[in-house]
Amino acid sequence: MSIENQTFTEKYDLLGCIQCGRCTGGCPVTVRAELNVRHFVDQAYDEGKLDELARLAEIWDCTACHTCAVRCPKGLKPLEVLIGLRSMIVESGKVEPTVRDALQSVLLEGNPWEKARAARTDWMEGLDVKVAEEGQEVENLIFTCCTIAYDPRVQVVAKNMVKLLNQAGIDYAFLPEDESCCGSEVFTIGEEGLFEMLVEDNTEYLNNFNAGRIVTLSPHCYTTYKTHFPDIRIPLYHYTQLLDELVQEGSLSWKGELQKKIVYHDPCYLGKQGGIYDEPRRLLKSIPGVELLEFDRRRERSLCCEGGGGKMWIESQSTEERLADTRIKDARELGADIVAAACPFCVLTLEDAMKGLGYEEEMRVAEITELLGELIEA
Amino acid sequence: MKSFVCIKYVPDTSEAEVKVNSDGKTVDDSKFSYDINDADNYAVEESVLIKEDKGGEVDVVSIGPKQSEVMIRMALAKGCDRATRIEDERIANHDPLMVARVLAGAIKDQEFDLVFTGCWAEDDGHMSTGVALAEELGVNHASMVKKVEVLDGKVRAHRELEGGLIEVVELELPAVLTIQTGINEPRYAPIRGIRQAQKKELNVLNLDDLGVDPSEVNLDASGVILESLYIPEIESAAEFIEGEPEEKAEKLASILVKGGLV
Amino acid sequence: MGKILVLAEHRQGVLRDISYEMMAIAPKLAEEMGAELETLLIGSGMDEMAKELSGYGAKVNVIDDPVFENFNAEKYQKALSALIDNMKPAVLIAPHTAQGVDFMPSLAVEKKLPLVAEAIDLTYEDSTLKATRTMYSGKVNATVAFKPADTCLVTIREGAVEAPEPAAAGDVEKIESPLKEDLSYRQFVEYIEAEVGDVDITQSEILVAVGRGLKEDKNLPDIEELAMAIKADIAGSRAATDAGWIPHDRQVGTSGKTVKPKLYLALGISGAFQHVAGMKGAKTVVAVNKDPEAPIFNVADYAIVDDMFKVVPALKEKLKEMKG
Repeated sequence: MSIENQTFTEKYDLLGCIQCGRCTGGCPVTVRAELNVRHFVDQAYDEGKLDELARLAEIWDCTACHTCAVRCPKGLKPLEVLIGLRSMIVESGKVEPTVRDALQSVLLEGNPWEKARAARTDWMEGLDVKVAEEGQEVENLIFTCCTIAYDPRVQVVAKNMVKLLNQAGIDYAFLPEDESCCGSEVFTIGEEGLFEMLVEDNTEYLNNFNAGRIVTLSPHCYTTYKTHFPDIRIPLYHYTQLLDELVQEGSLSWKGELQKKIVYHDPCYLGKQGGIYDEPRRLLKSIPGVELLEFDRRRERSLCCEGGGGKMWIESQSTEERLADTRIKDARELGADIVAAACPFCVLTLEDAMKGLGYEEEMRVAEITELLGELIEA
Repeated sequence: MKSFVCIKYVPDTSEAEVKVNSDGKTVDDSKFSYDINDADNYAVEESVLIKEDKGGEVDVVSIGPKQSEVMIRMALAKGCDRATRIEDERIANHDPLMVARVLAGAIKDQEFDLVFTGCWAEDDGHMSTGVALAEELGVNHASMVKKVEVLDGKVRAHRELEGGLIEVVELELPAVLTIQTGINEPRYAPIRGIRQAQKKELNVLNLDDLGVDPSEVNLDASGVILESLYIPEIESAAEFIEGEPEEKAEKLASILVKGGLV
Repeated sequence: MGKILVLAEHRQGVLRDISYEMMAIAPKLAEEMGAELETLLIGSGMDEMAKELSGYGAKVNVIDDPVFENFNAEKYQKALSALIDNMKPAVLIAPHTAQGVDFMPSLAVEKKLPLVAEAIDLTYEDSTLKATRTMYSGKVNATVAFKPADTCLVTIREGAVEAPEPAAAGDVEKIESPLKEDLSYRQFVEYIEAEVGDVDITQSEILVAVGRGLKEDKNLPDIEELAMAIKADIAGSRAATDAGWIPHDRQVGTSGKTVKPKLYLALGISGAFQHVAGMKGAKTVVAVNKDPEAPIFNVADYAIVDDMFKVVPALKEKLKEMKG
């Protein structure tokens, strides 16, 4: 039987659910939205109810943080039921204009930010950066990510990676402007057809490079490739793994020190979904002077920043406090000078929250590469 | 109800740097992103909404390069039924009157009730093609339409005038309506829909196929010559405030407060 | 040589500004061409308007007939078609407005005459009529030359130039209407006035206007706070009202309102001409846009090239501080 003909119940293995409620119990969004994921898993057995369920606004509150999947004793992914419902709306075409424009931009320009493909590598201007040519043999092939390539706030991630890799003197090359979106948000928004297309196209595109490994700068790309692109032949790394390796072997070291208290925020896509918890922490600890603090909600219990799950384009109806605000308040209570993350979305949402709360004077939100980049400059 | 919708593939230059090529007559489009013209996107949606309400068919007509087919497929995925893409280097596309004549060539021998176009194109912005097309077809028209009501043998069109005033007109069918943005909320064309739309007919035609005499739509036929393009001198007398974002904000705040502007 | 005929525009009993603005461009052209300048009014009960228009010194031709009581593009086209045959003007200039664009292209096709739409200037050099118009979001100007033709048709952009002061009185001549009967195939039904909202932005002293750069309505609270801090009303460009972020009755531009505030803050507005036409009467204009090429900077007094989301939060804080 082809996948197309699977019923909703079969596709999401709904009969495997024992309605234990661990999914909803752990869902971070429940504190500010009506979302009850267990209820959806329960109701979605009934094919006749699907249309009605798909029209409920709360299906768009899910941030795809995967807490429910991590907690499910039966190994199900309750959030994907919500994504399945979203895709019914997407197939009807009646999505929010912001979502529509983001999806269409992925199809036309290879990124969800409505930017020209031809401008994807504009951030490289003036930098001494190696760019990959097709077929070229390269040890570390860098996958930049749409958000890092275009968003001026987080372009610094790529720029500092260039500095760090040049400093380490390793063999690397960034993908050229024909790099396309990994589809992380396309998947969670529920545009199944577009995601299938990206899986096909990106797998073929990436396999064409003769690379030792692919190093992604965003954990969203990392996890999406790892989880949904089984045919990529080249091993996948997140940049924190590569930099950790370089620090451990002594290829990278820091000039000066940073006398700061840093609390590390585990991005959902890097931790819960990517299983990478220690490398970013080791990197931060390698900086002389840094005192590393820990949130109470850390590692697999880390509190989502609400940046994923397509939430960059869908605003919640809720007027309750944003999770990012909660996170920043917690960090302030801990006495952190810096909230560090290794994800462009986390940096954008957390920084937004910090500014909204008016803590700019006393705190800073930084991507890890930002801190490291400052420490290799003479 | 049989409709046509005419759409155009245009560059988005709202945030892009625009440079004129050394020929002085074209712009460097190597860094542009292209998509359906905004108003035309609303025209597609309106044609599909009316089809969904009244039944019938919608044909897409577009003059443009092979790359524009993705835009055409999207229109087909949204509910249009078949498409004609016209590609011919002989068309004097700087002149909307010539463009209208070519479009008319693709429509005139067929039966139709309504023809939709966008009311203006983002790139050259003549706001002329749709109204000229109506005359070529010998039918009624209304431009800048913000609401359409199909009546028996007639269409009632709400035209948006300056200052937000609406002029309501009734036209006997068939008619051409040039659609203003904001008339509806254009839907998304999911990829599966676009893939299914691959089965729909998309004919690629040139002037000869259309039976349009090239000497009536080429540079010689046009009454106007595009002599040159140039970047206008910035007449700005603005004081540019420099610095980091926060510094800029502070300087501006001080100007506004000290100048008694707020 | 020949005659330049300028078609004036009126609506609901009032001459519209574009009618005067064309009198900044046409007399200069008439001089360059050595042509006679005349104006044209089509309507019903036109005496007052004809008198007013005659203040520019050019002869006013008036078609005054009940058949033209309400604007009807088809009727205009019929009248102009007959006039072109009779008067054979070298140039016919009409407004590039919701009226002008509704009959000039079809007139051009009917009479097989060349048309340049939305010119911002006209010149006559080397025995050739040339028009300047803009393209690509106002970032490029184009010079378009007419080939020799019996009559060249041009529409002029609204608000492209300042209207001159009236000079000397000109004659008024009534022309018999070439059209006597109503047309069955296109009929005027009614005007619907724009809905009046809670705030009339045409009366606002300070306006904070947002455009496409707002991205999403979730970004509005910052703007509202800023507006509150300086007691401003919020307005928007067409993009912002189309997107539903800002109510339609607060749209600034040719298809919205013309505003004349003391201070106009344009945030994330590129400054498409249709927008600028509605706000250039503002006394002081501040523009924040991340695109350094954005045409809004051409009309700004103070300009910040940056992401509005970086500037606005800081700006609102500073203003609160300084005003508090």
